[in-house]
Amino acid sequence: MSVNETLQKRQHIRRIVFILMALSVILPLIFKIGLPLKTTKEVRDVFEFIDSLPEGSAVVFSFDHDTATLPEMIPLAEALLRHSFRKNLRVLGLALLAEGAAIGDDNFRRIGNEFGKVYGEDYIFWGFRPQVTVAMLGLGEDISRVFPSDYYGKDVQSYPVMEGIDSYDDIAGVISIADGDMPVHWINYAQARYGVNVIPAVTAVMATTMYPFLQSGQIAGLAAGLRGAAEYEMLLGKPGRAARGMDAQSSAHLLIIGLIIAGNVLMIIERRRK
Amino acid sequence: MDIGTTVAAILTLAIYSFLYRDNPFYKVAEHLLLGVSVGYFLVTTIVTTIMPKLFIPVFANGELSYLVPGILGALMFLRFSRKLSPYSRIPLALIIGVGSGVAIPAYMQAQLIAQLKTTMLPLDDISNIIIIAAVVSVLMYFYFSREHKGLTGAGAKAGMYFLMVFFGSTFGYTVMARVSLLIGRMQFLLGDWLGIIK
Repeated sequence: MSVNETLQKRQHIRRIVFILMALSVILPLIFKIGLPLKTTKEVRDVFEFIDSLPEGSAVVFSFDHDTATLPEMIPLAEALLRHSFRKNLRVLGLALLAEGAAIGDDNFRRIGNEFGKVYGEDYIFWGFRPQVTVAMLGLGEDISRVFPSDYYGKDVQSYPVMEGIDSYDDIAGVISIADGDMPVHWINYAQARYGVNVIPAVTAVMATTMYPFLQSGQIAGLAAGLRGAAEYEMLLGKPGRAARGMDAQSSAHLLIIGLIIAGNVLMIIERRRK
Repeated sequence: MDIGTTVAAILTLAIYSFLYRDNPFYKVAEHLLLGVSVGYFLVTTIVTTIMPKLFIPVFANGELSYLVPGILGALMFLRFSRKLSPYSRIPLALIIGVGSGVAIPAYMQAQLIAQLKTTMLPLDDISNIIIIAAVVSVLMYFYFSREHKGLTGAGAKAGMYFLMVFFGSTFGYTVMARVSLLIGRMQFLLGDWLGIIK
């Protein structure tokens, strides 16, 4: 077989794999299987942390991600926001990545409206700040110096929701919705220095980076990826988009396992032939 | 279905068309993404940072102290001039100096001391034994002042296996994340756009 023929054959195999992968995701989305979904301790810890907060406690949502990871980040943000609004907590928001500002504001408005919450009274979105270190340390001293005005340019302290909230001392926890290592910065600058509770809600890729902090007790819990969001939806008793995607997730994983086994078997057969 | 959903769906399909082969539709979608991202970042930075943190305090409120960081920031652009580029090191030196001063103690406290504390565990639990064995053997793997033979070699080899388990679990999570992204897009295409699924 010539080099050209080999390359063409490989290209065909790649396309077959892509088609199989698409089918393994699409079919379970259309024809629901309903595989069981168990909750893990780390997600339950996040749930219990928010659930244990008294009404009126303040939680900060930091949207530390961009648009590329929205399918993982939005279900996590929605589930945690729903829980916070349901518990009548004061929900404060910010973004440490520019794209997170529009995403965060949209989520706050959408989920806030679901629960009949009023902007400025029940929740507020401060907006975007660059230079994460300065922003995180500044929030520990005086929030209004870091965010003198909110996302809409109005004086932050003029909103009733901000009454009695000046620094981390008045905040029950910071939930970092992140697709990178921003929760590690929150741990370094907010948790270690000011003792504020940090809860990472991260992409699955970042889960292994977060586990050492979970074990050391530096984070109050961990919700990672679509699976984390699905578990949270189950705990809320309101299965949503993430929970509905779990069948597709499982079938895609089974396909990948099958492909790995098939690839290795074929490789062994080919080696023996030679 | 609004026009925004249809545009987003067409752009998603344009990006996925790369799986067949490189093509002009993919290129257009890719360039659009880059352009919009950079434009959005630029506008957000001007509106939320440069205006309220520099222009409004200086020109509207007359707070001239804000000029100091403004001038230091402007000095960064001197990197583009061969003759004046050394001056761009002034703000850089300040950033590195202050950054290190702030970061080093924070990292020591949050990453080193807190993590070391969690490794000092009683050997009465199988999980604790595994944690301590993993930390010690991985450290042995990265100890290069002695040849990896005998006890050091055995420790280093065990460390390598622990590292492999870590890489494997990280890769597993990465695969899971990529599949999640695909699921999200399919839910958008089949649900929000075509209305086939709820």
